[in-house]
Amino acid sequence: MSDKPARPARAIKLNVLNEPKESYTGGKSSLCPGCGHDQISNVIISAAWENGIEPHRVAKMSGIGCSSKTPAYYLGQSHGFNTVHGRMPSVTTGAYAINKDLLYIGVSGDGDSASIGIGQLIHAIRRNMDMVYIVENNGVYGLTKGQYSATADIGSKKKKGEPNKTQPIDLCALAINLGCTFVARSFSGSKKQLGSLLKAAMSHKGFALIDVISPCVTFNNNDESMRSYGYVKENEITLHMTDYIPHFNPVEEIEVPEGHFRDIELHDGSTIRLETISAEHDPGNAVAALTALHEAESNQKHVTGLLYFDNTKPSLAEDMGLVDIPLVDIPNEDLRPNRETLDKINAALHG
Amino acid sequence: METIANDFTINIATANGTGSQSANLILLQSLFEMGVPVSGKNMFPSNISGLPTWYIVRLSDNGYQAPGNRTHIQVLLNPATWDEDLASLEPGSVVIWNENAKMEMNRDDVISYPVPMSALARKINPKIAKLVTNIIYVGVLAELLGIDQEELEAAVAKQFKGKATAVELNITALGLGRDYFKENLSKNDPYIVEKRVIEKPQFFIEGNEAAALGCLFGGVQMLAWYPITPSSSLAEGIINYIPQLRTDDDGNATCAVIQAEDELAAAGMVLGAGWAGGRGMTATSGPGISLMQEFIGLGYFAEIPSVFWDVNRVGPSTGLPTRTQQSDITLLYEGSHGDTQHIVLIPGTVEECFEFGWRAFDYSERYQTPVFGLSDLDLGMNRWACEGFEYPDQAMDRGKVVRERDVFEAFEEFGRYLDVDGDGIPYRTLPGSGMDPILYRGTGHNPKGVYSEKPDDYFELMQRLRRKIDGARDDLPAPILREEDECEVGIIYLGSMENTIQEIDDILEATGIKVSQCRVRALPLHSGVEEFIRRHKTTIVLEINRDGQMYGILRKELPNDLITKIRSVAYSDGVPPRAGIYAKLILETLKEGDN
Repeated sequence: MSDKPARPARAIKLNVLNEPKESYTGGKSSLCPGCGHDQISNVIISAAWENGIEPHRVAKMSGIGCSSKTPAYYLGQSHGFNTVHGRMPSVTTGAYAINKDLLYIGVSGDGDSASIGIGQLIHAIRRNMDMVYIVENNGVYGLTKGQYSATADIGSKKKKGEPNKTQPIDLCALAINLGCTFVARSFSGSKKQLGSLLKAAMSHKGFALIDVISPCVTFNNNDESMRSYGYVKENEITLHMTDYIPHFNPVEEIEVPEGHFRDIELHDGSTIRLETISAEHDPGNAVAALTALHEAESNQKHVTGLLYFDNTKPSLAEDMGLVDIPLVDIPNEDLRPNRETLDKINAALHG
Repeated sequence: METIANDFTINIATANGTGSQSANLILLQSLFEMGVPVSGKNMFPSNISGLPTWYIVRLSDNGYQAPGNRTHIQVLLNPATWDEDLASLEPGSVVIWNENAKMEMNRDDVISYPVPMSALARKINPKIAKLVTNIIYVGVLAELLGIDQEELEAAVAKQFKGKATAVELNITALGLGRDYFKENLSKNDPYIVEKRVIEKPQFFIEGNEAAALGCLFGGVQMLAWYPITPSSSLAEGIINYIPQLRTDDDGNATCAVIQAEDELAAAGMVLGAGWAGGRGMTATSGPGISLMQEFIGLGYFAEIPSVFWDVNRVGPSTGLPTRTQQSDITLLYEGSHGDTQHIVLIPGTVEECFEFGWRAFDYSERYQTPVFGLSDLDLGMNRWACEGFEYPDQAMDRGKVVRERDVFEAFEEFGRYLDVDGDGIPYRTLPGSGMDPILYRGTGHNPKGVYSEKPDDYFELMQRLRRKIDGARDDLPAPILREEDECEVGIIYLGSMENTIQEIDDILEATGIKVSQCRVRALPLHSGVEEFIRRHKTTIVLEINRDGQMYGILRKELPNDLITKIRSVAYSDGVPPRAGIYAKLILETLKEGDN
């Protein structure tokens, strides 16, 4: 027994499932202090909590790299799989085929997604598998101590070495061209925007890619880097203000903005509200999205927001033509055909 | 002339893509239905159309299924290989040749039957003369050898699945071939076909189709695959049977099929399925297994049930993609970097392709590890006689999965990699269950599944993994033994060599050497293999590769006093094993041992 007097009970904030936020946290991060990835982990925790996701119904997937270590730092009640370099999409695909009812949140890096695993990313997009795919994009390889990745911008210079001369791969442009059904870019420093986009991605049916510029404080946060905190803050073009209105919240309670806005209804009944800042961006228009990306790149800027959205395509679960219940829940006797069926097969083969 | 019934080999030389495969299968099927023990080997190129193909039909009342040691009847249609095929024949061989091929018959020491096959085919329909030419030689062979018209017609109906126009066309062409021989040639050779009483009815089936059925009866829930010869027909077999075997009345399936972007992705999907608690598999060949190595190691280290079928073709590299070999043994057994050891099931018959098809999932979930099926092109893509498949004699074994919370709570201590039972096999919970949620990883981990680089954690983990797989040895399919009383010479062999071993045995016995047979059916090796070697004075390890891979495994694992008792006979030229070649090599090896 403690001798200390009992402290007065503190009100704990609960979400729609009556869960405290602690139900969504994970282990202590071992990344560098100030790493953009830790901010993203915090946004994942908040988004899952605010969205009222049952914590054990999430599957945390990742590849290899600094970013891929982060599933240990959030959603401690969820199973996860830290797979091999660049191959998280295929492992997720197999898991999804067996249990389509889990919420798959994949975290990857620019080495993982734009180099070694670009093929798997492309094909996961093609299949329109239901998953949230977050790229924690800092333009460098961290664990191997600071080599450029395939997303490093031309002319950008990391802490050590020469400026990058190789054409970068823009994962958002790639995804739009592939017909990805949810494509967004954000910045780990933009907590509110990232939170709204992430919650919307969780409510989406199909493949949701969020490319998050997430500065590497150790190898790529110097002034000459185009992915440093300072540079991104100065050179970010925000397409629109984003708000997320969950399906369990009546819309009336949300403050309606004064200017022009566009509401997009998501698969689970939630809404993402895009408030126009200067010029209006139509996320249903792939060409407009590509133009925005192209112009930003030409001007050495980063454009953020919901770039592209399409809710008309079937997702992989529908395409596979499977029974309604997840395959993992099918009892053994329904998986193995009975003896009479084998007798029939034998008889047919005997002709 | 004395006749030779049901003991000869027919070699049919055509070009691929000309429809010769249908004609050859009709020939094979009609002989089979007459009760003649017969086997067919398709020696096809890696090509869509126009390259040389040989089809070898062996009739053998002894039941020998290997391609024979020589050709008795040569059918010549392909100008590209004409001279070579003709030159390789022994004097007295029969040659049925297309008179319209604009090629010469330059042998006078063979029995020659010229037939204007193209001209006859054009009579039926000039537009499809090329296709019809093939069925004409079947008609000629039928008349020459005495194949029942009724069986031929039944085989045609089966081949073309009753499509009336195709059936009619082919039967007409068969008749033209028959009539031409009857009216223009006279039989001048000893070879005939005799009907045999069929004691147990059999059907023909390819190993890949048998394995596909086995997988479906094993409850496969996800097939991820990337097309590669010679395994594609295994995956396609599963796909073709899903509507019949694994689909409900509303047309919804209980098995997902994903055609992956490459073999790496296919392997990743298999692991994902196993991680999520399902039965996932892929079918591939050596090049695919090479690409899957990284995931195979992850499956071993993170202990994920996963099933991989390797239909072995000739390596290394692209090798001979349409030829057969047993050269992936060590690739599978010791697959991936680091210290690993994997369970490999090695069927030798189509019945075992079916049986190991379902058993692979049980082993994989029981031991929570990748399990390989090792077939080969010969077994997988050629047709073999089968009496029928036996229903699984064991219920599905889903392994140590904790599904209910009260069971979970009853554990004094739970850790994903904790060896509770002392058999090296830990307990697992499934994603979505909320029980013992851990982040699975390919990095070092402690019994709780938490990242660890501690020397003791790593050492203990690796020891447990070895204990786990070692523990499977005598649980896996035992070797099939056929032993002589003398126990002089033993032969250890595996897989599709099953179809040649008896002929090898008979050749050796004719020279006065009695041999015992031990067919290995799984890795790691069953204790019965060691005992077999101990009982015999000398044991030959016979395999279809260059380096003696199974021999290497035995040398590594046998106790020192037995190593000197084994000898390697390894040979591979891409062709299914011909008994004469292997018997000769065994004799030479035994002789060397005597000196």
